[in-house]
Amino acid sequence: MKNTWITFRSVTPAQRGETVLRRNGLSCILRRTPRWMQEKGCGYSLQIRTINTEVCIRLFRENNIEFKKVYLIRDNGSAEEMTL
Amino acid sequence: MIYLDNGATSYYKPDSVKRAVLWAMENCANPGRGGYEQSNKAAHVVLGCRDRASRLFNCDPEHVVFTSNCTHGLNIAIRSLIKPGAKVLISGFEHNAVLRPLVDIGVKLSIAATKLFNWDDTLSSFEKFLRQGVDAAVFTHVSNVFGYVLPVEEIAELCKYYNVPFVIDAAQSAGSQKISFGDLGADFIAMPGHKGLLGPQGTGLLLCKDMCEPLLFGGTGSMSAETSMPDFLPDRLEAGTLNVPGIAGLSAGLAHLLQVGTDKICSREVRQADICAEGLKELGVQVFDGEHRSGTVSFVSKMDCEELAQLLSDMGIAVRAGLHCAPIAHRSVGTFNSGTVRVSFGLDASPIQSKRLLESLNKIKSKRKIL
Repeated sequence: MKNTWITFRSVTPAQRGETVLRRNGLSCILRRTPRWMQEKGCGYSLQIRTINTEVCIRLFRENNIEFKKVYLIRDNGSAEEMTL
Repeated sequence: MIYLDNGATSYYKPDSVKRAVLWAMENCANPGRGGYEQSNKAAHVVLGCRDRASRLFNCDPEHVVFTSNCTHGLNIAIRSLIKPGAKVLISGFEHNAVLRPLVDIGVKLSIAATKLFNWDDTLSSFEKFLRQGVDAAVFTHVSNVFGYVLPVEEIAELCKYYNVPFVIDAAQSAGSQKISFGDLGADFIAMPGHKGLLGPQGTGLLLCKDMCEPLLFGGTGSMSAETSMPDFLPDRLEAGTLNVPGIAGLSAGLAHLLQVGTDKICSREVRQADICAEGLKELGVQVFDGEHRSGTVSFVSKMDCEELAQLLSDMGIAVRAGLHCAPIAHRSVGTFNSGTVRVSFGLDASPIQSKRLLESLNKIKSKRKIL
């Protein structure tokens, strides 16, 4: 199933993002960022429903939660970095 | 035991603190290192503690850094801001946690404010040195020896006016005095987790702005491909595995404070310190008392301070005697040679504590014919 991964530089902003999304009724899963998504090694991501991408990004920006990149993972497993 | 040494550590902790420590030991792995349940639980404990601290001290959670004690935080702060040869302004009531790192760096020290309980003197003295020009200021919020609450908000305004970066040592004030990192505008505020914040020993917090230099270097669970420390907080200052059980206990302590309110705790402590000070004066000892005193009272009797503290200990009363790791404070007040006996109230401050202390001192006076 298609989903979106938003990457963070460490666990702290990822958790803050998780808290904000849940507070706004948006589901997400906190995960370790896959190695291929990382440039600098070791980080955390939030896996969200792709349909919620825009609202999630807006909430992060409103709450000063810094994220790194956004990846769209397609049904066939292929991935694409999304430009915001 | 009547415990009156809260200036050293809070002995009475809420049960929730002890439960939280045990829960973390049984449920938490290393935070920020894995994606499995126990690692995530640990990370949530850590973030929860940052959140509570950020609410209590009005700052961003990511600017709350965990340290092993207040001294650790002060060392980070001082070494971030101050370089060899710098002109540094301190108060006349500093602890060795401030003095020793500064001396080790090799700075030119100026000492402002040596009069107890006198805000006008404190402020005019700070302003005089700030006007002359200093590179940084480091000062305590509350004297650990005499309980003198310095006018930190006004000193902070002066530092900002003269564009001098500053560090506040909140060792004796965190948990019992209002502290707003956002309003004070300090570069750093360091505090222990195990005193007024009611956490376990081995915990501390450093509130900091962005500009900081790590004291420890190592793994952070982030940016692992890089050979230098991350350039963002809190990771930049948190190399190595955090003390998760300690942080869990500290978080429970913060929750207790948020629920009860620091104002209430402060007024309870000060009320007992007032009663104690009056009783001590009636006993004829020299009491250091005045306006702007916290829940800590120091006194000097005709007996050796350590001997008197030992006699009280034998009677089931815990106080601290000597120089309290603050020789500057004793020199400022003229008690360097004698030392003082310090009585410091805490969360459990109650009339029975003051009563028992005064009764015990009365007994000593009757028996020894001296006090």
